[in-house]
Amino acid sequence: MNQAVISCLHANLPAVEAVLKDIELQGITNITCLGDLVGYGPQPNEVIELIKEKKIATCQGCWDEDVVDGLDACDCSYPSQIAERRGHFAHQWTTEKLTKENKDFLANLPYSIRKDKCLFVHGSPNSQHEYLLPDMDAFAALERVENAKAEILFCGHTHQPYIRELANGSIAVKVKNSGSKDIQKKEMNLPMRRIVNAGSVGEPRHGGTKATYVVYNDITNDVKIREVEYDIELTCKAIINAGLPPIFAWRLKNGFEFAERAEDASHVCER
Amino acid sequence: MIERWALISGLKGDLDTYELIQKDLKKTPGNITLFVLGDMIGPEKNCNKLLHRLINPKSNDLQPWCIYGWWEEQILLESGYRGNQRAEALRINKGEEVVKSLINAVDKSFLDWIAALQFGFVELDCGLIHGSSKDVGDDLTLDTPPLTLLDRLTRLQVNRLFTARSTQQFHLELTEGILNSEVHDLTGNHKKEQKVPQKAVIGVGAGKNYTLYDVGTDNTQFVRAGYQSEKKKNGFGLHF
Ligand SMILES: [Zn+2]
Ligand SMILES: [Zn+2]
Repeated sequence: MNQAVISCLHANLPAVEAVLKDIELQGITNITCLGDLVGYGPQPNEVIELIKEKKIATCQGCWDEDVVDGLDACDCSYPSQIAERRGHFAHQWTTEKLTKENKDFLANLPYSIRKDKCLFVHGSPNSQHEYLLPDMDAFAALERVENAKAEILFCGHTHQPYIRELANGSIAVKVKNSGSKDIQKKEMNLPMRRIVNAGSVGEPRHGGTKATYVVYNDITNDVKIREVEYDIELTCKAIINAGLPPIFAWRLKNGFEFAERAEDASHVCER
Repeated sequence: MIERWALISGLKGDLDTYELIQKDLKKTPGNITLFVLGDMIGPEKNCNKLLHRLINPKSNDLQPWCIYGWWEEQILLESGYRGNQRAEALRINKGEEVVKSLINAVDKSFLDWIAALQFGFVELDCGLIHGSSKDVGDDLTLDTPPLTLLDRLTRLQVNRLFTARSTQQFHLELTEGILNSEVHDLTGNHKKEQKVPQKAVIGVGAGKNYTLYDVGTDNTQFVRAGYQSEKKKNGFGLHF
């Protein structure tokens, strides 16, 4: 059966509506959301209410966590001080705009959702703030899936959709200085695992302007990346009218941005 | 002259053992650097004398280079050095009595020194840490899945990781490894084959059991303080 996985909605209502429409047109009713309902965008309450109304299973994203717990992400999440200031401003703006009810909703979202062999998280099983980029060290990537006892790990947070298959792996180890003459050796085969990044509905960073998400077929194990057009102008106008930094509108329109991409993918926030 | 590291941990306030190790090291040939990988303190003994000695080495002592360990982290937590968090894991696992004993074992005047200790050292291509780069309580042993060991090495970007948390002594080499990665994104398919470069994780032991590391030859020697002569007879370090 086909199921849809969406992530990083970032308070962009026209994008969320367009993606949900696209999912509906395919007859898919099973939807999982990987968080970041808010942040950057101008319609945080509207997006949360839509997700609630549709009863979409959702995990907590980095923005959802920070809006509730206060800014805890270390500064290294931002490549420059200007980007950091903009991020903090958006955080402040979102915190003020959110209703108490919607803040409570974000506060009570789970860190992860497990369905059979699939684990759904925002960043990684370690942290909502860890980036699993497509070129991350393959063994480290496999460790994330294995340690989480999953076969397929669905994540978001990087805003770049991808499907990564890690296969035909093996590691050989040797115990040196074991006190006995025969040195113990062992070799083990590593299991095949997959990481699926759902991209971003409301804040794409894959080079294009379209909203992205993925469709997973749990019978054939097939995963497809979907790109969906939405009314970008509408969101851009709302960003400007809300008094949010105009660069947030600029980068949606130009579909290319590095402003808030983590520079060090292997970095894990020590919180 | 041969460059050697002496790696000790888990003294938990035991000044006698520390003195025994200092005595051993004076007889050990080479240019020795002494690293103390945490757990200088613990709840069992009063730790003030040992801490005083580590901070103010005697004139003929090897200078100790210290980092903090799991027990140091517990006392810092409990003493309010980590914001609102307290040593809850310790409290749940070992009970209130142990938390109290730990607090009583260390004079408050040492807390600032403990709080200023580093999490780990990176020397050459080696990481020296109490647990791992993931967590000070990360318990790495011979039985830890190699994938996890590799992850801890990768996080620190080192080829050798010296760890103490498990209290075990071992030298595990990751000799070979391969993994195929295929990424499909909106630009197409990208295949890559990744290999494991030679890396190792070394458990340094605790208390009287410590490790000598020969930087030039990458050889480890597992030693028990005060048993130097026995070690020579065997031609091997003692293994536990
Ligand atoms: Zn996001
Ligand atoms: Zn995020």
